[in-house]
Amino acid sequence: MKDLEVRLAALDPDAGAAVRVIAYFDQLTSARAGLEAIVRGAAVLAGCPVWLTDDGRRLSLRVDPDGHPTPASGPPDPDWPHHQLDPGARAAVWLERPGPAGPVEAMVLERAAAAARSVLDRTRGRAPAADQDAAAVEVLIDEGARPEARRHAARVLGLPADRPLRAVARAGAPARIEPAASAGPAADGPRAGIGPAADLAGLPASWAAARTALRFTADGTGEDPGPRVVHADDLGALALLAPSVSPGVPPIPDELALEHAAAAAPWMLATLDAVAAHPSLRAAASALRLHHSSLQDRITHAERLLAWPIRDPHGHHRLYLALALRRLRRHPA
Amino acid sequence: MVTTEPAASTESTPPAESTPSAESARPAGPPPFDPELGAALTIIREAVQLDLTVETIPERRRPNPLFPPPSDQELSLGGAFEVSERQVPGPDGAPDISLLIARPVGLAAPGPAIYHIHGGGMIMGDNRQGLPMVIGWAAQLGAAVVSVEYRLAPETPHPGPVEDCYAGLVWTAAHADELNIDPGRIVVAGGSAGGGLAAAVALLARDRGGPALFGQFLMCPMLDDRNDTPSAVQMAGLGVWDHASNEVGWTALLGDQRGALDVSPYAAPARATDLSGLPPTFIDVGSAETFRDEAVSYATRIWQAGGVAELHVWPGGFHGFQVMVPQAAVSQDATAAQWDWFRRLLA
Repeated sequence: MKDLEVRLAALDPDAGAAVRVIAYFDQLTSARAGLEAIVRGAAVLAGCPVWLTDDGRRLSLRVDPDGHPTPASGPPDPDWPHHQLDPGARAAVWLERPGPAGPVEAMVLERAAAAARSVLDRTRGRAPAADQDAAAVEVLIDEGARPEARRHAARVLGLPADRPLRAVARAGAPARIEPAASAGPAADGPRAGIGPAADLAGLPASWAAARTALRFTADGTGEDPGPRVVHADDLGALALLAPSVSPGVPPIPDELALEHAAAAAPWMLATLDAVAAHPSLRAAASALRLHHSSLQDRITHAERLLAWPIRDPHGHHRLYLALALRRLRRHPA
Repeated sequence: MVTTEPAASTESTPPAESTPSAESARPAGPPPFDPELGAALTIIREAVQLDLTVETIPERRRPNPLFPPPSDQELSLGGAFEVSERQVPGPDGAPDISLLIARPVGLAAPGPAIYHIHGGGMIMGDNRQGLPMVIGWAAQLGAAVVSVEYRLAPETPHPGPVEDCYAGLVWTAAHADELNIDPGRIVVAGGSAGGGLAAAVALLARDRGGPALFGQFLMCPMLDDRNDTPSAVQMAGLGVWDHASNEVGWTALLGDQRGALDVSPYAAPARATDLSGLPPTFIDVGSAETFRDEAVSYATRIWQAGGVAELHVWPGGFHGFQVMVPQAAVSQDATAAQWDWFRRLLA
């Protein structure tokens, strides 16, 4: 920030204007405003249409100085004043007018680019462009985006606006929007939470639900057994547990008991997960490819470590919840 | 996307008349400003300070370079309107008042009229303030606009301002032929103090058997001199018109009668005990402003009295957000909702 102030003083004889520009974009960023609000702010402050383009994602968002988003026609003129989101990036914020930018305009471009970058970082991490245009996806999952901007983003992504869509949250991968009738993520892909079907306006809610569902997924390994893909629609009341598990909240005794048991044998978690996930011990044994009596032995061992029975309905349910809490703990929001 | 909050779901605002208790006496923290509005507010607050006192009223009346008054030329929308100022009789025993009249050019049959009352906390503003937006609507509706220059408090306390407004309305209705106005389709409209005065004029017209109004359009209206609703308390020190500013405005109008038991509903329409028999009503307000609860309550009581009202509570809106930050997404939606109401009523 200090470095910025020095540059400002060099650039701008009217320090007041620069301070306003900085305060404006800082506030947008701290209030987690979406991309459209940032481009709109730049257009209003600069007094001309402003574009946000990202060649890697085939994104172009244009807002006029009255604040109305309008579809951009063609690529921006390379001579227009612009500021890249990252050095060497193919994403930039542009003023739609001949250059060069005055000192205040340069500040607007720089701050808008920084704010836009923080939105994209927040929603897609620093990962390279994936199969979908991340900025268009961000518009679709931004609660504050306007209907026209949503429709435009859906067109950019080639999504049918008249059919149910859904958001997909993936571990370590950008948000994805797909038709609700899609086959769903590949079994060998990243863990995924699938949001409920929604129209364009409902995608922010679908995204929120998908992120919750993602927390209930597991790596599907011995250390983290369970489903790699979870549909928000299947969670039911379980979803209510998600907000109650966060880094600041200490584990409850059942979680500690589960970790205690897990540490005792490499087969423990997979066994308990199979028991919890199946309606009968016979089905669980079959899934584990164990003889019924071997499973009985393992369960007896587990019950001693957990200090509660897991073969009666209450204990079985208690185990199920403890495993769910463990996944929530491993996959924070 | 939630754009308007139905009045029935305001879980955080107990009714103003609930028994004060340790829990309800202090409302929770204020609702946050909309991100775009909050960012713009930091810039606006450089120009609009919350330091209004009776002493600083003259200073605040000086023209604000951020909001210059529109010229006749601007108001004519390139010749679509004929704009004139006209002196007409004021209330009995009071000076004449000035009406700014903008009539659509080349209208074959008499059209509707918007009778406009400007805002400014009862203490400032003039009859050009806020007109470009109103004339923009009028142009699409084939409507005339009449904007009244009423005397301001504290020099003119209640009932001077509202009687000026009413006298202008009566004159307009009586001269409908001359103005090519359909006297059955006059809508009274105003924002902030203008919204409060418009509501009061509608009450006067009802109670005195005056001009039959076709609608009342109340933008973030200033209705309640008691200044003690949860929103008034909650938003103290925030936004552009807070608890202290509001007290200055009402005190200018009512003097030491502000908040007294028997304040007239024609001064503070929230005091009206009967809200039946009013024309179709539009009310909007921000969730993060002083006037939120009185505006919501006014709409609710119109419904309870069997009337027609449309209420919009815009989340995170501060007082006058839509005028001061017209480009924000929530402002665009608020403006669209206003226009939709006029179109349904008059087009």
